[in-house]
Amino acid sequence: MIKDYRIDEIDIKIQEIKEAATEIERLGGDIEAVKKNLVRLRASTKMLELNISDVELGNAP
Amino acid sequence: MAKDENTYWNPILETMPPEKLRRLQVKKFKRIFEWAYNNSPFYKKLYKDAGMEPGDIKTYDDIKKVPTTDKGMLRDVQNRPPFPYGDMLAVPLQQVTEFRQTSGTTGTPVYQADTWQDWEWWAECWAYILYAHGYRDTDRMFIPFGYNIFVAFWAAHYGAEKLGCEVVPGGVLDTEARVMKMQELKCTAFGATPTYVLGMADTARKIGIDPRSIGIQRITCAGEPGASIPTTKKRMEEAWGAKVYDHVGATEIGAWSYSCIAQKGLHVNDAFFLVEIEDVETGEIIEEPMRNGKMIITAFDRMAKPCIRFDSKDVIRWADYECECGRTFRIIDGGVVGRADDITKVKGVLLAPTAIEEVVRSFSELSDEYEVIVTKKGDIDDIMLKIEIKPDYKKQETEILNRLKDQLRVKTNLGYKIEVHPYESLPRYALKAKRFKDTRPH
Repeated sequence: MIKDYRIDEIDIKIQEIKEAATEIERLGGDIEAVKKNLVRLRASTKMLELNISDVELGNAP
Repeated sequence: MAKDENTYWNPILETMPPEKLRRLQVKKFKRIFEWAYNNSPFYKKLYKDAGMEPGDIKTYDDIKKVPTTDKGMLRDVQNRPPFPYGDMLAVPLQQVTEFRQTSGTTGTPVYQADTWQDWEWWAECWAYILYAHGYRDTDRMFIPFGYNIFVAFWAAHYGAEKLGCEVVPGGVLDTEARVMKMQELKCTAFGATPTYVLGMADTARKIGIDPRSIGIQRITCAGEPGASIPTTKKRMEEAWGAKVYDHVGATEIGAWSYSCIAQKGLHVNDAFFLVEIEDVETGEIIEEPMRNGKMIITAFDRMAKPCIRFDSKDVIRWADYECECGRTFRIIDGGVVGRADDITKVKGVLLAPTAIEEVVRSFSELSDEYEVIVTKKGDIDDIMLKIEIKPDYKKQETEILNRLKDQLRVKTNLGYKIEVHPYESLPRYALKAKRFKDTRPH
């Protein structure tokens, strides 16, 4: 049996990561080490969106 | 087969009801269409010329109206800036972090750009594949591949790392050194083309190592159709004492399908790709099972150089069975059965080279290598099959050849000239083999 996952709650946390990345960029995005590591953080976050957040696209009419 | 969340890389998507998957696909298609329209000059022109814009995609049937792309277009755009990718590119050049190119088997190589996000996506696609093949973080995976400009097993490497596997890069080692390293490190898995899987087993035996003794439990194949050809798969599994799994992907598309532990057909990753099958003659989209057509494919989430309704020329068919693994991702039966430009008429009969392989590899008296050469003398086609008979069976040559001719005629409806070559004299290949040679003027 596959568990029932609370996708909406997971998605909220994923969006919070994205918001945090934007805030980090605002505060330190002119530091190359910050800017380039944010590229990687956002790419990983995008994979979470593809796996979780996009599920809602199938649920919506 | 027990099924729970540990069976799948992503149980939510992989067991999503088909009607939800279809809705997801339409929305993701619309998203990539809009992205390409707004960011890629090539796609904008293609769609404007066809009178289409993003708002036109509302239903699954609307997708069928979107113009297809093909490899010729991918080559043509490379003549335009920005160098070297051309105006299909949908991101600024400075966001491109990965260069790969196609092998150029069918013409000028296509250069492929990926951003770091695209590369994460490649690894993600491969994570679906490897998890379905049974890889877990307890595996030590050897990758006997010359890491270079071809994508080949690069993404497998990153996908395996994502799963938590310990990855051993086989790089520039020669085949003997690779076999010995796999033995020394007690590797549990590796990935290679079917040709090389068999070639490595041969090499192991030559240096006194029984490949079955190494402890390999699973092998992931790519690059050639062999792992979906039952007789070739059987040879590989017997040689290594391991389970052999298939996957199909392409540089310009991504890693779009995989077999699972049921080892029956290939699942399409329907959450990341839209696969359509088109009748070669009529252009009609085929929905019914077991009818061959060529694949039109869209990668929903590849952003730098979008792949939208790409005519891959791979010939596939939907399966008429469900998979016991519980995945709702659709299944193609028998893997990629050929290429629309490979399936050719010989003496007026349609011939897929994979059918010849299936027959040759069913003869345990023959070596793994063979070659097919089609020629034309005057108006008459001629087809020659070159084989090697294993030394132990040389005395039975006449009987073997008679049986082989019969089986070939039954499976392909063609008569062959058969040439027996000394054992181990036909060419051996490390990556993609080129065993079918059509020398007729086209």
